[in-house]
This record gives sequence, structure tokens and C-alpha cells, in this order.
Amino acid sequence: MGEIAQQDRKAADDLDAEAGPAGPSGSSVAAIAWRNLWRNRRRTWLSAGGIAFAVWMLVIALSMQDGSFEIMIDNGSRLLLGHIQIQHPDYQDDARIENTIVDATVLQRRVAGVNGVVSVAPRLQAFALVSSGERSFGAQILGVDPALEASWSTLPTMISEGRYLQRSGEVVVGTTLARNIGVSVGDEIVILGTARKGGVAAVVAELVGTFDTGQSELDRAIVQLPIADFREGWGIAEDEVHVLLVIASSVGRSEKIAGALGSGNSDWRALDWRALMPEAQQTIEMKAIGAYFFFALIATIVTFSVVNTFMMTIFERTREFGMLVAIGMKPGAIMLQLQLEAVWLALLGVGSGWLIAAGFILPLMSFGVPLPEEAGDLLRRYNMPERMYPTFSYTAAWLSAVIMLVGTQLAALIPGLRIRKLRPVEALRAH
Amino acid sequence: MPFKLLLQLGWRNLFRHKRRNFMLLLAICVAVAGVVVMNSLIRGFQFDMQEAAVANLTGHVKMLAPGYLDDPNIEKSFTLVKDWQPHLPGVELEGWAPRIRIPAVIMSERETRGIQLVGIDPARENISFLDKVELAGDMLSDADDRRVVIGKELARQLETEVGRRLVIITQGIDGRNREAGFRIAGTFDADGKGLEKLFVFTGVTALQNLVDAEVITEVSIKVVSQLDESLAQQGLADSFLDLDVLSWQQLEPQAAAMFVFADSAIFIWFLVMMGALIFGLMNTLITAVMERIKEFGMLRAVGMRPRAVVVQVVVESTLIMLVGVVSGTLIGWLLVLWLSDGGIDLSAYAQGVELAGMRSVLMPRLLVEDLLLVSSLSLVFGILAALYPARRAVKINPLEALRR
Amino acid sequence: MSDVVVRCSGISRTYQEESVPVQALQDVDFEVCKGEFISLAGPSGSGKSTLLNIIGGLDRPDKGDVEVAGVKLNDLNESELSDLRLQKMGFVFQAYNLIPVLSARENVEFIMQLQGVSPAERASRATAVLEQLGVEGMADRRPGELSGGQQQRVAVARAIVTRPVLLLADEPSANLDSATTRELLEMLRTLNETHGVTIVAATHDPIVMSYARRQVNLRDGRIVEDKQNEAA
Repeated sequence: MGEIAQQDRKAADDLDAEAGPAGPSGSSVAAIAWRNLWRNRRRTWLSAGGIAFAVWMLVIALSMQDGSFEIMIDNGSRLLLGHIQIQHPDYQDDARIENTIVDATVLQRRVAGVNGVVSVAPRLQAFALVSSGERSFGAQILGVDPALEASWSTLPTMISEGRYLQRSGEVVVGTTLARNIGVSVGDEIVILGTARKGGVAAVVAELVGTFDTGQSELDRAIVQLPIADFREGWGIAEDEVHVLLVIASSVGRSEKIAGALGSGNSDWRALDWRALMPEAQQTIEMKAIGAYFFFALIATIVTFSVVNTFMMTIFERTREFGMLVAIGMKPGAIMLQLQLEAVWLALLGVGSGWLIAAGFILPLMSFGVPLPEEAGDLLRRYNMPERMYPTFSYTAAWLSAVIMLVGTQLAALIPGLRIRKLRPVEALRAH
Repeated sequence: MPFKLLLQLGWRNLFRHKRRNFMLLLAICVAVAGVVVMNSLIRGFQFDMQEAAVANLTGHVKMLAPGYLDDPNIEKSFTLVKDWQPHLPGVELEGWAPRIRIPAVIMSERETRGIQLVGIDPARENISFLDKVELAGDMLSDADDRRVVIGKELARQLETEVGRRLVIITQGIDGRNREAGFRIAGTFDADGKGLEKLFVFTGVTALQNLVDAEVITEVSIKVVSQLDESLAQQGLADSFLDLDVLSWQQLEPQAAAMFVFADSAIFIWFLVMMGALIFGLMNTLITAVMERIKEFGMLRAVGMRPRAVVVQVVVESTLIMLVGVVSGTLIGWLLVLWLSDGGIDLSAYAQGVELAGMRSVLMPRLLVEDLLLVSSLSLVFGILAALYPARRAVKINPLEALRR
Repeated sequence: MSDVVVRCSGISRTYQEESVPVQALQDVDFEVCKGEFISLAGPSGSGKSTLLNIIGGLDRPDKGDVEVAGVKLNDLNESELSDLRLQKMGFVFQAYNLIPVLSARENVEFIMQLQGVSPAERASRATAVLEQLGVEGMADRRPGELSGGQQQRVAVARAIVTRPVLLLADEPSANLDSATTRELLEMLRTLNETHGVTIVAATHDPIVMSYARRQVNLRDGRIVEDKQNEAA
């Protein structure tokens, strides 16, 4: 007798543990769970629909953002700032003309050899008065290497009149600045500033082109001339620069490169886009906080709905559960089955959500999303293109799947706990 | 069947499945409270942004000489008759300020910067951000004051301080440069470094003397009620035919675009939350109908009209939505009150905040119109969600239902 | 004593129904021997279902001892009771209570799965029992596609496929017409006579009583009559 009882218990344990060759295989319990899901098609589709909706929202929203952030940063970097700037340790906070990097040529060559670095460009910069005839305006003067600049910067492609710098004695300015000081291509411009050793830095150059970046702050206040002319005018030695701009193969790559470059020296430091464009970095962080709040709310709403679904399901199947207990199935095994039903439901919802999201995003990835006309100025301010090309966010896809799986497991568990207290005699009488 | 009876029936049915309806209520509460909180944050952001745009020497409406925006210099200026007052019947003004605003170069012993030199009548600047800044040293005493007030950040960059002298170069009315020394009366600490770097203030009469012309380049006007904005703009445009009269939306198109964007963001939030909610709501309603097939059959058998069946399902849905919306709004309101105590400190994102034209402390703003809109639209959603289940309920054949 | 399958001594059970205590069983002694076919008869509320549930380990008496197949139920916890029901008993309910998402064959195999019977043996035993009950043609249909009589046959198949010591039936004919009831009872009688299955059925259907060989009448929670049915 005892022996049989022991055997019996073993069989039952096998069921609970869902193991053992003689016990019911996981797949068959899973199969029953799957079929149970389809007992009420409408309800299952509505519950899965809620999950799919949440997944869809998450994937769409993050895909749009990921794409736009990356583009925003990259565009900003390629216009003027570079992905990384190597500067004198004090230059970022105190842009004095004497805060230079010495031995720049050696450093430039070294950095250019780093894996993932596409281009390294030297810069000298200073503030000066730009005038023509009687009119004068203050502007930021950038000494650049024209050939090198044309290879990575988008600014040379934004020339609206004339051409970009080619040789010594030339200068390009923003369209607004040109208008303000009343010059056009071919005119002479005088630049007056304070030289390195005190005294006046004076450069006279021919305006060969004007650029239109769409950002009025830049078009009003930027002047570029060949770096050699800058050296001569401001009296800066051959091997000194204010900034080495580094362009990396991607924004993500540049963060790592900056980290690697920056460590272990006191002569200069490497700033990545987060330091160069703190406003962009902070905008991204602020948006991320908003997004977390958003998804937490959606996930909570959907989870509550699924709790409700399972509550209704359990209520309706009370008699069946009573029967299962009566014929000897343990409450734990029934709960396990419900959890499996929740897994199926989540997979169904997440899968549909992915499909719908992919169906939305894939065409947009090639055609782009046209943005409203009024947003134009705003987008330029954030260095955004006028069409947005989303990238399918795999992070969002996995994240949403995990959130929804956890949510539905909880949703099934909460009402499922009641099964433990199920009294078969009463349950069998339920209708 | 009288509506009152349906209402009563609907109310009792809510308590038939307390636990289930409670979960549904929770979901509605979360959705509605979330929408209310988010709404108030977006409104707070919107308000901040508009305030900042208007205070940024813009005003609600501004008069400018034609061509000034493209080429801001002293030649694009105009004069006002002596003792001019804005005459705008029916518009209550908060204030108005005449200014000269021209580009200039400022130099300390060590550094040179490009800035906007603004000649003001300090007494009239209650309508701009100058009214709210923290000041080290003195404010300009009057329009004749020959000193300057500069931003704290600019002072840092120029390595100068209150009491020291600066040289300013700007273009006179004849097109020739004028160069003059100014003593620093005070430095201001604005909410963003952008303003501190950009603006240098001096007395308007003093500046007129420098440029040799008794002219101004702009008049900013701030109204008390925003509703009067367009009225004020129209009134000024009618009396100054030779000037450009522009609204803040035209002068600050980025802020205006953000403003419109925030309006739509509120709707997007609402729709998404309701979207997530409607699946659960429909599910519950359908179940409520299906498990009462017998009951509906009986009601039909004893003479309830099909339309009354629809009404009953809709009433139930609306009731549960109503309870959810009321409690959700209440919770949301309490959360907003809690957040309003000190506001949300965004100073960690100061530069991003400035880029977006916000202040470093975000104060949520709850608008009664928004609350009404959210509640009434939620009820509409409740009714929409009930339509399909109601149609299912109408299809119930009384004989069949009773035989089950 | 080995032929006594069920022994109840002095069992009482009181329910709280809407906070009014209802005495369902009062000091009942009852024994079932191997191979018996017993009907528990009596009007609603007489205590017959309670007695059946207590024998089946679904309910516990407030007082008294219950012993099934030599195991004292009073000493078992819920989990052990589950095992006992699974291994030693078969249940037939008035509303068939098949699992709606499983076919007839899967319903029969399901309980063996719970017991941990190997797949091959499950298949052969299910085929055999479905044949025995004449529903082998319906093996792949789901309960919703079967008539009431067919569903009850599948329910019986599920109950006996585990070769239980005891087959318990609660109002097995409640949802059947009299012809189908007779068919079902013929089948139960065959099981009882040729396979020695011990059957206890709670019922108020005279047809069921007429097939049982021993009839126990209850009224107000007490056994008022316990007679052999010579006609059966």
C-alpha cells in the first residue's frame, strides 16, 4: 500500500516539476494552454490587441527617436563641431587664444591612426571684428585646412553663392553676416582682432563665397579662412592649434574613441559630442525620462486589462477547475497551465505588435517621414533633416517583449492565486 | 423602459463583479491620471516657453522698421511722436517699451565679443525678462544713464566686473563706426546663459546720442490677456502703416512651432492612453454581455426593446468610465498639486532646457479646459467601446437565450 | 476485511448556508464492499451528494472517520487527497465536465498523463476503453461536437481508464433522456459485473436506482433504509 502511495506521489511530483520521462511533457501542457486561449477568440484577440498596441507604440516611438537623435548628433558634428574635439584642458571653459595644443602635427598623425577615426582636422579660432567699408560686425573666425574641411564637413556643400575656400587670401562668411556688413562675393573684407602677443591681428581677404546653414546663429556669426592666414594674422606658431576635430565612423564609435583618447595625459583632453553639444545630450535625456513615464503608464494599463481577462477566464472556468481538482490534478498544476496561457497570450500580442510595427517602420526607413513645414526652423535648430528616417529599434522590440511577458505573468498570477483556495465541491456547483 | 431604470440597473451591475470592475477602474484611473499629469506638464512647458519667448525682448506684439529683421542696424529705425502712447481701445496693456537694438562689438582689456546693444528706458522694462533677473550692482537709473548692464556670463568671458569700463563699437546713423567707453553698472543673472551672453543694456537716450539720431528700432507691447493679441496687432498695424507690426509667433517661429507641437502632444498622449485602455474596456463589456445572455433574453422576452438593450450596455460602459474618470482626475489633480510644490527641478538639464526655451524649474499647470476636454473625450471613448458589445447584445434571440 | 473498499463511521457534516447551519449528514455509518453497485437515493438536501463527496475526498466530515482502500482520509492533506483521487477513484459528474479544448481521446489520455503513464500505454488503453464504451468513432471530436449521451460515455471512459478502485457518480443521468440513461446504466452494469468495478452513484432518478444492486436511502442527513435490490 505504502509503496503505491509513494509511486503515486512521485507521479504527482513529476507533474509539478514538469519533468520525468513518464510525466506529461511540457509541450502537451503548453498545447492545452494554447487551445484554451482560443476558447474565447474575441477575448484573446482583444487582450493580445492591447499588448500588440503597447508593443507597437514602444517600437514606433523608440525607432523614430533613435533614428532622429543619431541624425541630429551626426549632422551637428559634421557641420562644424566634429564628433570629438581635442583641446587644451582649459579651452572649453576659457577659449583664450593662448590655450593651444602644442606639437599638434604629431598628435594629429597619432589620432588619425586610431581605429575608427575617419578624419582629423586642425582648427584655430578667435573672436574678431569683421568689416567692410564703414560697417563692422563681431564674428567667430575659424582657421581651417580647406582641402581637409571639404572631405568631412557639410559646410562646404552649403555654399549659396560663390565657392568654398581654396587658397590663401580667401574668406567665406555666412549669408546673414555678408548682408549685415553689406558685402557680396568678390568684395574685400577686413578682419580685426587681438593677436596672441597682444597687438592687432589684421587680415584682409577676398570674399569668395557665402554659406547658408539654415541656422541663423551660425550664418550671422561664422567666418572661415585658411589656417595659414590665421597663423600669420594672429601670430600663432606652426605646430599649435586650438582644436583637433575628429570625425569617427559613427557617433556610437566616437564615444568610445573619445574615452580612449582622453585618458592619461594633462596636455590636452578629448571631448565627445556630449560635452560639445550639452544641449543635445540633455534634450535626449529629458525625452528619455518622458518616454519611460509614457511606457510605464501604457504597460500598467495593459497589465490591468490582462489581469481582468484572466479574472474573467478563471471565473468562467471555475467548474472545469473544480473537475480537474476532483479527478486529482493539483492546484499548482492548474496555475502552471494558466501561466503558460499567459505566455502564449504575451507571445501572440508581442508578435503581432512587432509585425505591425515593422509594417509601419520598414517603408518609412526607405521613404522617410516628411515633417510639417512649420517645424522646419525648429528642426534646423536641432540639426535635423527635413525628412526623418526611422531605424527599427531592436532594443525597443526586446524591451517591449520582456515588459509584456513579465506583465502578463503577473496578470495571470494575481487572479491565479485564487485557484489555490478553490474548493472542488463548490466549484463543481458553479455555472 | 424608462432611462432611470436603465441607469439603476447599470449601477447595480457595476457591483455584480466587484473585483473585475475594480481592475477596470484601476486601469481607467491610471490612464486618466497619467493623462492629467502629463497634460499639466506639457502645459507648464508650453507656458514657460511662451513666457520666455515673450520676455526675450519680444513682447506679444512688436513694431519694427521694414527690413530690420533681415538687416538689423540703426538705419532701419523710426521715430515716435513726442509723448506717444499706444492707443488701442478695448485692449488692456501690461506695458510697452521703446528700444534701440543694434549689433555691436564689446571689448574689455582682455577679450572681444559680438553682442546686441540695447538702449532701454529701464522704467518700461517691466514687460521683459529684465524685470525678473537677479542683479549684482545697479540697474540703469533712467533712459539717460550712460552706463551698461551686462550678463554675468559675458562679464566672466570678458574677465571684467561691476565698476570697470568696457569699450563698445557700433555703427552710427551715418554708417560710420562709433567707439565709446561705458562703465558697468551691474551684471544680471538670467535663467539661461544665452541671454547673458547676448544682451548689453544701456539708456536709450544715451545710445541715441552715441549713434547721433533720435530714433528707436522697436516698440514691444505686452497685453494682459492673450486673447487680445491679434486685436492689438491689428490696431497698431492700422495706425503705423509704414512699420512692420509682428506677433511673437512671427518673431519667434521656433517657439511658436513648439507651442503648436505641444498642443498636438497633448492629444497624442490622450489617444495612446485611451487606445491602450479601450481593449480592456471592450473585453470586459463583451464578457458582461455574454454572461448575461439569459438575462438579456429574459428582458427581451418580457418586452424590452432592442434599443433599450443598447442603451443599457452603453449606460454601463459610461458609468464605469465616469467613475474611473472622476477618480482618475482626482488622483491626477492631487499628483499635480504634489508636483507643484516646488515644481520639477530640471537644472540638471539646464542647457537642453534653454534650447527648448524652458525654465529650469518646470511648474505643472492644470487648465480647467483640459480637464473638461479629457473627461468628456474619455466618456466618448467609453461609449465607442460599448457599441460593439451592445450590438452583440441586441443580436440575442430571446427564445434561444432562455433555452440555454 | 480486504473486500471493504469504503468505510465511514459516525460521520457528520454541517454547512453554513447563508449563515444558517445546515446539517447535511448526522452520524452516518456506511460501508462499501468490493464489486458493489450502490445507489445513494433521497430528495435534494438529504445528504447524498455530501456523502459521495466525502467518500471521494472532495469534502471532509466535521466528525467521524473515512477510510478508502485502506487509507484513512482524515489523515491526508490536500495534496495527498489529490493523489488518492487520481490513483484510486473515478468520477462521473452530472454535467459530464469534460475539458472542452481536448478531443474525446485526449480527455481520456489526459488523466493518464497526470498519472504519468507512458504515451504508448496511454494510447492503447484509451483506444481500448473508448471501444469498450462504443465511442471509438468519436475519439477525435471535441466535447462540443458530441451529444449528451456520448459525452457521458467519454466521461465514464475517463473515469474507468485509470482502473479505479471506486467509481463515483453524482447524478449521472441528470442531463440525459431515459433511453440514453438506460444505455449508460447497461454499460455501468457491464463494467460492474464483468470487470468488477465498484460503483457508488448519488441519484434521485428511479431508473438509476433500479439498476443498482444495493439502494441506500437518505433523508435529512441520515440513512433511513439500506436494501439489496433483488430485481437488479
